[in-house]
Amino acid sequence: MHLGLQARITAVFAFGALALSLLITSITYFTTSSSIVAQDEHSFELQAIANATSLGTSVYASDPSIVAANVLGLSGEFRSTTSYSLIYVTALDRWYSTFPLQFNKNDLPVSLRAMTLTGRAVEQTFTHDGTPEFGVGIAIPLGAYYFGIFSLDAANRTLHALLASLLAAAAVTTLLGAVLGRWAAGRTLRPLRDVSKAASSIASGILDTRLETADAQDLAVLTSSFNRMADRLQQRIERDARFTSDVSHELRSPLTTLANALSVIESRREELPERARRALDLLGTEVHRFQHMVRDLLEISRFDARSADFAPTPVEIGDLIRHAVNPAGHAPVTVIVKPEDEHVELVVDKRRIERIFGNLLENADHYAGGVAQVVVETRDRFVRVCVDDHGPGIPAADRDRIFERFARGTGTAGSRGAGGGTGLGLALVEEHVQLHGGRVSVTDAPTGGARFVVELPISPPDEPDDTAENGNSSGGGPGAGR
Amino acid sequence: MASRILVVEDDERIRVSMSLALEDEGYDVVGAGSGEEALERFAQSLGFEPFDLVIIDIMLPGMDGFECCREVRRQSAVPIIMVTARTDTHDVVAGLEAGADDYVTKPFEPKELAARIRALLRRARSSEGGPSTLTFGDLEIMPEAGVVRLAGDEVHLTRTEFLLLCELAANHGKVLSREQLLERVWSYDYFGDGRLVDVHVRRLRMKVEPDPANPRYVLTVRGLGYKLAP
Repeated sequence: MHLGLQARITAVFAFGALALSLLITSITYFTTSSSIVAQDEHSFELQAIANATSLGTSVYASDPSIVAANVLGLSGEFRSTTSYSLIYVTALDRWYSTFPLQFNKNDLPVSLRAMTLTGRAVEQTFTHDGTPEFGVGIAIPLGAYYFGIFSLDAANRTLHALLASLLAAAAVTTLLGAVLGRWAAGRTLRPLRDVSKAASSIASGILDTRLETADAQDLAVLTSSFNRMADRLQQRIERDARFTSDVSHELRSPLTTLANALSVIESRREELPERARRALDLLGTEVHRFQHMVRDLLEISRFDARSADFAPTPVEIGDLIRHAVNPAGHAPVTVIVKPEDEHVELVVDKRRIERIFGNLLENADHYAGGVAQVVVETRDRFVRVCVDDHGPGIPAADRDRIFERFARGTGTAGSRGAGGGTGLGLALVEEHVQLHGGRVSVTDAPTGGARFVVELPISPPDEPDDTAENGNSSGGGPGAGR
Repeated sequence: MASRILVVEDDERIRVSMSLALEDEGYDVVGAGSGEEALERFAQSLGFEPFDLVIIDIMLPGMDGFECCREVRRQSAVPIIMVTARTDTHDVVAGLEAGADDYVTKPFEPKELAARIRALLRRARSSEGGPSTLTFGDLEIMPEAGVVRLAGDEVHLTRTEFLLLCELAANHGKVLSREQLLERVWSYDYFGDGRLVDVHVRRLRMKVEPDPANPRYVLTVRGLGYKLAP
């Protein structure tokens, strides 16, 4: 799995904080624990020596009862702490313990007992009943041996508590490290995010998007080169768009002459010989198509130059679609609208709606044997208009491509009939629909052909800025005709 | 007698081919290569053989089409069709504001232009039937005589404005949608340009409303259309 840059920076910070705090924790723990243990052991030694000294005198008496009483006396003194005293008197060959039930000679570690009985002072740490004990063995003059057993439990508990709080502190530090990392990553990545936002805004067609000049020196290079790139891209695209528009404008005048001259000849068609008549018909078809192509090119170049203007008018959906798919001189097309949807109001640019369905109709006529039916339904905040044709349908692979300019379908659907389309029809459909804030897509019709689905929002889209002024002065939009 | 049409177009080839095509339709066509020439010919014709319709290309060298349109309109109520480069609100509305009755967009089909001309000329001839005088407050409309009076003074309307007012008057109190008005006044189908109606209503108000900003007679019904107050 690939983590994002921000996640990785956060992880590095958190890991660093964890490692550092664990190091500090262990150093603190080990120094503290050795000093506590050393302190405890020292005080236990002193205690053991004191106990041994006080017992020394009673051993002189060689009276078992006195020895026992003194050992018990020690027990009274030390009842508060968990400690035991044992004494072995050689002369009597007897052991005395403060609490024989809890701790007697058998509980002494063998090594401690053996070493002490050789006459040396011995210290040993061992475990008894699961608790750590510190044992001291001291030889008392005149053949007695003292064993002091002191519990290390208290010290251990202290150390455990210390360890727990150190680990807790380490956890908090790690968390703080992660938070810091996240923040730092966010800060360092913000310029990158700005760049990516600007890039996607340019990609979506807002060509005048630029980055703000950064304060930081190292980022200024990035922003200025990004902006330079955007400038050149915009110039390039606008030049291309202008070129298309200029060419189309230039073509209009000769086309107007051609069309008028042609109509003069056409009205004398019957006076012409057969061959000239056939040539005239070809000329007529092509001039007509040429005219449509120039009209479409002009239209699409206005979209490219972002100067398409939007003249919204409130209309009723049933009326609109029925008129749009039944242009004068076209065979009637069945439109299915639910009675409750009939009067749903849309705010649209009627001329563009006429072109959307005119082009879909033309497309169906040219490539798919005509329109089978048109189904209108309202969904949520959208109106869906489905235009079904009689053709073989459109393969899934071609469904996006078909809206590209001059796209040709593969297979038989792509072959062009006489007086075919301009190659821009569906591209324009998409542009017109998008200008309305809608979508167009193609799928399979229940009747077997292709189904073009046009979705238009019921509430009007926000008007683009560059046409706001037009919106006020034109069309039947709210506020017109004050 | 054939209707006389003045074609104002600077491109000679377009002018000649349009003249040929329009003559085929049975019109008597006079061409003018500039706005200045057009106004001269228009002024000459006024006395004895007035033009029945004027077609003006917006893009003219020297005096532009809007200016020419305004000047013709100042002198006469003759129907004017303008030829625009684009369907943009700017060109279309500016042309209509300058006094044009209708427009076509280049490159247009000759059939399309012929249909527009026929619609404007047909209307110009027929203003039939109905009561002789309709009165709304201070506003008097005499459809047959082609006269409108506001507080007793005659108001000069173009044919289009007059027909628009008559259509609203004949259905007074009822709302007429833009589509209905386009069909009845301009002979357009459902997809006619609603801006034609809006601009002409605005111009009509300038002439028949005492205060065009707060109309009393020609009222806007939001989202539906227009009506004449009963």
